[in-house]
Amino acid sequence: MNILTKFKDVAARSPWLYRINAGSCNGCDVELATTALIPRWDVERLGCQYCGSPRHADIVLITGPLTRHVRDAALRLFEEIPDPKVTVAVGVCPISGGIFRESYATCAPIDQWFPVDVNVPGCPPRPQAILDGVAKAIAIWRARL
Amino acid sequence: MNVLGLFVRNLMRGPVTDPYPFGPTKTAKRFRGRIEFDAASCEGCKLCERVCPSGAIKFSKDPGGLAFDCWHATCVFCGTCAFYCPTGSIRQTDDWSLAHVASEKFALVEHGLIPNQTCAECGATALDTAPMEGGVKPPLTPEEIATLRPLCPKCRAKFMKARKAKK
Ligand code: SF4
Ligand code: SF4
Ligand code: SF4
Repeated sequence: MNILTKFKDVAARSPWLYRINAGSCNGCDVELATTALIPRWDVERLGCQYCGSPRHADIVLITGPLTRHVRDAALRLFEEIPDPKVTVAVGVCPISGGIFRESYATCAPIDQWFPVDVNVPGCPPRPQAILDGVAKAIAIWRARL
Repeated sequence: MNVLGLFVRNLMRGPVTDPYPFGPTKTAKRFRGRIEFDAASCEGCKLCERVCPSGAIKFSKDPGGLAFDCWHATCVFCGTCAFYCPTGSIRQTDDWSLAHVASEKFALVEHGLIPNQTCAECGATALDTAPMEGGVKPPLTPEEIATLRPLCPKCRAKFMKARKAKK
């Protein structure tokens, strides 16, 4: 146990990001792709990387107002992500519903369904704001390890 | 451009990566971000509340007057409120820095209060709103605005009626 704690202290702790599109208009997803894929914003400078499987993820970024259609799938996907995980709501849609607030077809805000840790408002948020949110999430994740 | 030229140009330019969050970043001049409210110039027409497509703006009665609240966590930064506001009391700033931990979700509010005042003419309690200038012909002079400001809506209407009769 002692060795394990020591190992945890010296480990670099690079979290992997995973993105769930919960019925987003794609605006926020484009901004997420921008922060990750183009060299101008380059989220990997913060020591994290996108991954393709929920089972590898540490930080989950959720976009969209959680439409009724996608709710169960999103919840199932969220269950597959191992603990400790940190949830970031990207865009005003998951935080409050945004432009889709009080629609019969959405289940926003998502904090009724997921334990949300960080919010990044904006429609869509600037890549810099997303970087801010990811940095906050990394700090929370490190504290939780 | 040949490949060599491109190579040299890129070498001279250095990395394109924006230094943020480790350094300063640039924001476009006309970036539409967080909205700002100025209670002193507001007419209290509530047009902004009516046109806001995401229901971010809410006026509510307060013991001290009329409270304005805009929740940034549901505002979509469309600028409709700023477009329709007749007095320019609502402005869009270029601030995008809104990321926060979830516990601060409901603190992300732009709050303003239009205070109550006592009418200088009849002594009734009314809101200290800016006088409505839209559609008034000939336009109100600064002196007339200063006279109208401390009045209640009824006395303002009386003043306007007298003004119309005079002209
Ligand atoms: S916050 Fe705006 S850009 Fe993002 S998914 Fe919702 S509507 Fe689209
Ligand atoms: S004057 Fe502008 S800010 Fe005030 S209520 Fe009218 S639209 Fe809203
Ligand atoms: S910018 Fe658009 S969404 Fe935001 S408060 Fe104004 S009208 Fe509402």
